[in-house]
Amino acid sequence: MSSFTGRHTMYLFAMKNGKKKLAYGESPEGALEILRYRLTAEEMAQIVVEDYVKIHQRDLQKHVPDLG
Amino acid sequence: MSRAKRLLRTYLGAERSMRLKQFAKRSYLRSLSVLDKVPRRRVGAPDSRKTDILWLDLGDFGDLLFPLGAQEKWQDHGLGLLRTILHREGIATEIRSTRAMQSVEQLRREVRGYRVLLMNVRSYTFPMARKAAEIFKQENPGGLVLTGGMHASVAPDEMREVTHFDKICAGGGETVIVPLVKDPTAFPRFFAGDGTASMAEWPAIDRTLFPQPAGWLLRRRYRWPLEPDCGWGPSPVATILTSRVCPWQCSFCNESSYIPSMSRRPVVAVIDELNGLDARYGVGSVVIHDSMFFQDPSWLRELVDQYPRRARKLWPYWAAARADTVREWPDLFEALVRETNWNTISIGFESGSDRVLKLLNKECTEEDNDFAIELVNRLGDDLERRGRKPPVFWCNVILGVPGETREDAFKTMRMIKRMKRVMPSVAFYAPYPGSALGHQLIAEGKSLMSKDNYHRFPGDEKVKGIDYPFYRDLLAGKYAAEVNRGLDRQSRAREAASPDSLAKA
Repeated sequence: MSSFTGRHTMYLFAMKNGKKKLAYGESPEGALEILRYRLTAEEMAQIVVEDYVKIHQRDLQKHVPDLG
Repeated sequence: MSRAKRLLRTYLGAERSMRLKQFAKRSYLRSLSVLDKVPRRRVGAPDSRKTDILWLDLGDFGDLLFPLGAQEKWQDHGLGLLRTILHREGIATEIRSTRAMQSVEQLRREVRGYRVLLMNVRSYTFPMARKAAEIFKQENPGGLVLTGGMHASVAPDEMREVTHFDKICAGGGETVIVPLVKDPTAFPRFFAGDGTASMAEWPAIDRTLFPQPAGWLLRRRYRWPLEPDCGWGPSPVATILTSRVCPWQCSFCNESSYIPSMSRRPVVAVIDELNGLDARYGVGSVVIHDSMFFQDPSWLRELVDQYPRRARKLWPYWAAARADTVREWPDLFEALVRETNWNTISIGFESGSDRVLKLLNKECTEEDNDFAIELVNRLGDDLERRGRKPPVFWCNVILGVPGETREDAFKTMRMIKRMKRVMPSVAFYAPYPGSALGHQLIAEGKSLMSKDNYHRFPGDEKVKGIDYPFYRDLLAGKYAAEVNRGLDRQSRAREAASPDSLAKA
C-alpha cells in the first residue's frame, strides 16, 4: 500500500509488564501482523491486543521512556 | 565484463573496503583508548588566533586527510549556516575538524587555549564529541562547551549525562546561536532551540567557513570550499539544501518527529545560489542533500520551469525520491530528469519485499518499486538513443532488518539486478535513537549500538539475532543461483550489490 492510497498509523499497545509496544500499520490488526514478522510467539503474548492508543509521529519522542 | 574481471573487481573492492574499514576502526579505537595516556600540558593560544571561540567540526579522524571515499568529506551545512550567522553578527569563530586530524594527541593540541568550544553533535559523532569535550576541559579549565545538533533532540538524556557539556540546545539553532555565544549564562543547561519558520530566512552559507582539508594539495584536489566528487558527477561538487524534513514516517528514520517542519527554499534562491557558486568557484555537479527532494509538486513544477532558463548551466545533480512519489507524479518526474538534468536518482527502495517494506513502515510496495525501475530504465534507454547520458539509480537498500527472511533478501538483490543503470548503496539496518524501530529495538534490548559506539562503519553488526555471515555471503555472490531465480537473461547477467556496495548507515 503506497502512502498515497492508505497512510499508516502508529499505535502504542499495552504490555502485560506495564510497558508499551510501538507498532505501525493500516489498522491495529495490520500493525500486530507486522510486529509478528519480527517478534517471537512469547514476545507477542506479552502484548494486550485490545488495549492500544493511536499516536501521531510528531509525538513519538514523548513515548520513548514507556517502550519495552 | 568478463567473469574473471568481475571476480577481480569484487575481490579488489572487498579488499579495499576491508582495508578502509580496518583503518577507520583502528583510528577510532585509538582515539578512544589513547586519551588517558597523553600527558596534560597547558600552553597559551598561538598568536595567529583571532578569537578564543572554537567551532569543532566532528567526524572520524582522517576523513579530510586521506583521499579515499568521498561522502565522509562532505561539509556540515548546519555548521556552515550557524557559523555564517555568527560571523554576520561580528562574532568570529575559529574552525578545526577532527576529520583533518589523525589522533587524540593532535586534537588536544588543537583545542588548547580556547575559552569556548562549539559542536554540532549527531548520533554518529556523539562519542567523538564526548571525548573532545573531555579533552577541551582538561586543556582549558574554566572553558565552556556549547553543544547542539540532532543527538540533543533524539537522545537528550545521553547528552545530559555528559558533564562536560555546559549548554545543550535541542532543536534549531538559527535564532539562538548569537545570544547563546554572546551570553551563555543567560541559558539553562538544557534548552529548546528555535529554528526559523522558512528556509527563505536562512542566509546563503559562506562556504569559506567550512573546514579545510589538511594541506594545500588536498584543498586543491577537493576543490575546497566546494567538495570532491564521489562518482555521482564531475568535480567540484556543490552540496545544497532546498528543503528540510521528510514528512513520511519510515521506521528507520522518523525525522519529522524531531525536526520541526519548515517551508522550502524559494526556487529562485536555490538557482541564484548555484549561479553564484559557479561564478566564483566553477561548479561541476550538484548534490541536493534534501532528505526528500521529490515532494511538493508545485515547487518542483516551478523548478522545471525556472531552472533551464535561469541557471548558468544544467549541472548534473543527485537528489532523492521515493518509489511511490515517482509513481504518483510520473510526468513531473520525467520532466525533471529530461529538463533539469537529474542524473543520479537516489531512491530509498530499502527492500524488494513487501514484508520488509512493512517492517520499515516505508508505505511503498514492490509494485511501486517496479514502476520506478521500469520508468527509469525506459527513460535511460531513450536518452541514450538521443546521445544523452542516461540517469543512474543511487539505489538505497537496507539488509539485516529484524524479521527479514532469506527470501526477502534475495528479492532485494533481484530488484537491484532489474535496474539497467545502478549504483547500489547497501547498509545493514542500524537502530538509531530517534527512529520508531530504533527506539523500540533499544527498549527490547536488541540493539548492539550504544552511546559508546554510535558510528557508521558499514560492516559492523548492529542488531542482536541477525545472521550477518549470511548477508556477507549474499553480498559476496554466494547465493547467485537463488538471486537469479525468475530473472530474465539480461537481468541475470547484471551485477547485483557486492561487499563494496556496503555504505555507512
